[in-house]
Amino acid sequence: MLELIEAILASTLDFAPSIVLAALGGVISERSGVVNLGLEGMMRLGAFFAAAATLATGSPWIGLGAGMLAGAVGALLHGWLCIRWRSDQVVSGIALNLVALGGVTFLVEALYGSTDTERTATIGKLVLPGLDSVPLLRALSGHSWLAWIALAAPIVMHLVLYRTALGLRVLAVGEKPQAAATLGVSVAGIRYGCVLASGLLAGLGGASLSVSTLDQFNNHMPAGQGFIALAAMVFGKWTPLGAFGASAFFAAANALRISLASSIPWIKDVIPSGFLLALPYLLTLLLLAGFVGKARAPAADGVPYDPEVR
Amino acid sequence: MADLGLRQKLFGPSRHWLLVPVLSVLAALAICFVAIWLTGKDPVQGYAKMFGGGLGSLRALGDTSLKTSILTLTGLSVALAFSVGLFNIGAEGQLVVGALVAAWLGHAFAPGTALIHIPIILIAAALAGAGWASIAAWLKVRRGVHEVISTIMLNWIAIHLVESWLVVGPLAARSTQSQVSLPGTAQIEATAELPRLMGEINLGLPLALGMAVALFVLLKWTTAGFELRAIGASSEAARASGIDVARRTYLAMALAGACAGLAGAILILGVHRQYPAIFHGGYGFDGIAISLIGGNHPLGALLAAAFFGIIRAGGTKLQLLQIHRTFPELIQGLALLLVAAQMITRHLLTKVAGRAPQGKEAIDA
Repeated sequence: MLELIEAILASTLDFAPSIVLAALGGVISERSGVVNLGLEGMMRLGAFFAAAATLATGSPWIGLGAGMLAGAVGALLHGWLCIRWRSDQVVSGIALNLVALGGVTFLVEALYGSTDTERTATIGKLVLPGLDSVPLLRALSGHSWLAWIALAAPIVMHLVLYRTALGLRVLAVGEKPQAAATLGVSVAGIRYGCVLASGLLAGLGGASLSVSTLDQFNNHMPAGQGFIALAAMVFGKWTPLGAFGASAFFAAANALRISLASSIPWIKDVIPSGFLLALPYLLTLLLLAGFVGKARAPAADGVPYDPEVR
Repeated sequence: MADLGLRQKLFGPSRHWLLVPVLSVLAALAICFVAIWLTGKDPVQGYAKMFGGGLGSLRALGDTSLKTSILTLTGLSVALAFSVGLFNIGAEGQLVVGALVAAWLGHAFAPGTALIHIPIILIAAALAGAGWASIAAWLKVRRGVHEVISTIMLNWIAIHLVESWLVVGPLAARSTQSQVSLPGTAQIEATAELPRLMGEINLGLPLALGMAVALFVLLKWTTAGFELRAIGASSEAARASGIDVARRTYLAMALAGACAGLAGAILILGVHRQYPAIFHGGYGFDGIAISLIGGNHPLGALLAAAFFGIIRAGGTKLQLLQIHRTFPELIQGLALLLVAAQMITRHLLTKVAGRAPQGKEAIDA
């Protein structure tokens, strides 16, 4: 039993970073009032460009940087359409997903003549000395640096959002942009900044798939993780710590599915893996319907800001 | 209400509704033409293969007709929900549910004649899609859950429950000798296979054409259609004038789900002949692109589906040039992005025309 818990904890730490980072990207964008359904596409851009840059330079850290930049470029396009041109945010996000899907497939084929890249170097693993013989805690050792970044990022975002003037401006812009503008806050500036941050985070989440979780980009990436992140954002009630908790919970459900399949094969007949895969979405739907608590989106989420309208 | 005005401009009827989509598709074709050229391949040959591959032979026309019918139906699904101002991102899940019901009835039920078997399957698949979509309508009407989020969640619930449980578990085909599960559900009966016109053309095409025309008539000339459009224009005004908004919302989402469910059934009865182990391929998400590129108009969606049906069927021929067969999907995605960016297109058009009022008119029309 202890071994099973350790296995689940360990694989949660391996699965969660990509979802946590992308979900935080969703939170920061939507708290400023820009709906971001393009997380999946930004993750895909991040995953591909991280692998490509790592192959070109040999350094997975440069790869992570390239993945973040690629996510940011996708996000800026989304932001420009939504903020400058007040385009429909839902359509823009979906369009970004489709372009990233087709565009990256085209690029992989053009650059590598295949649907996958070659093997890349990966981000190093952090071995915590002295934990090897401590039950339970030893599961914390030997994980990619990304796991620790994904643990720190939600706390940083929480502190920035709720404890700094900048963070309070972001929240104001997402709830009552007209009122924030009256106080001299640049609604467009804040929203651009948040959408950019969202792209950096989602790009990093995608990058973690290709140069940390795996050691190559393959054409299935990110395989719907952007939508799991979206569900985690909603389930976490649009807060950084909530989104982190939801992402970790969803990742643990996935880890449970995989660990159970290998350690207790008969469990598949009792709890089919499809149930565990569908669980995050089902729980999110139940939460939204008010059957388990209540979630509310930021008041100005998805509403383009028009300075002439009061 | 800034957003309402924008929604109307984006999705509402306009005298110039064809202009932006056509320009968007042309620009997407141009961008992708340059992309092929940049990779050192011959774009003229590529485009010739892509269009030729979709139209060149009877066999190609068969594939084109199939893709056109699927894209038309998922496009109609999205367009119909738009008529009441709802964004149906759930066509993918509705299609999966319809496909599953079609695969199951295709082998579990054997009336002995195609004349009974096929219509019953099609109706059941449409009802299944409608039922799945109605969950989102219920959540919207009774619980105030935004349909964008609920339909995304319902997509993944359907995909995982069907593909990681039902198809590999309770409904998996068993081989006759052993109890080993084969990938996918059992083969459908011969009486459930969709007949092909002229040997190749899928029966789905006339079905999709019929649906497009029927929904056009419904929206344009019936009281129910008028009420749907009234809700789309302003649900508050519609409610104030005595329209039962909840009832019409259910109607619109149910019809939307029925279209997507039918698309799933056509894929099963016309192509796969079982629910295969790997199936869901994004046709539901394509429906969003098709609907918006088609101006959210039933006949516009049909046109967009025909165009993308041709080049997507021709996509396989691009492999001769070492270009991935999904390249036409990139063109489709870019065209959608450009439709989303239509404020820019309209702005540029205004500048080119040199007459500001005309551009303003085009937006307000």
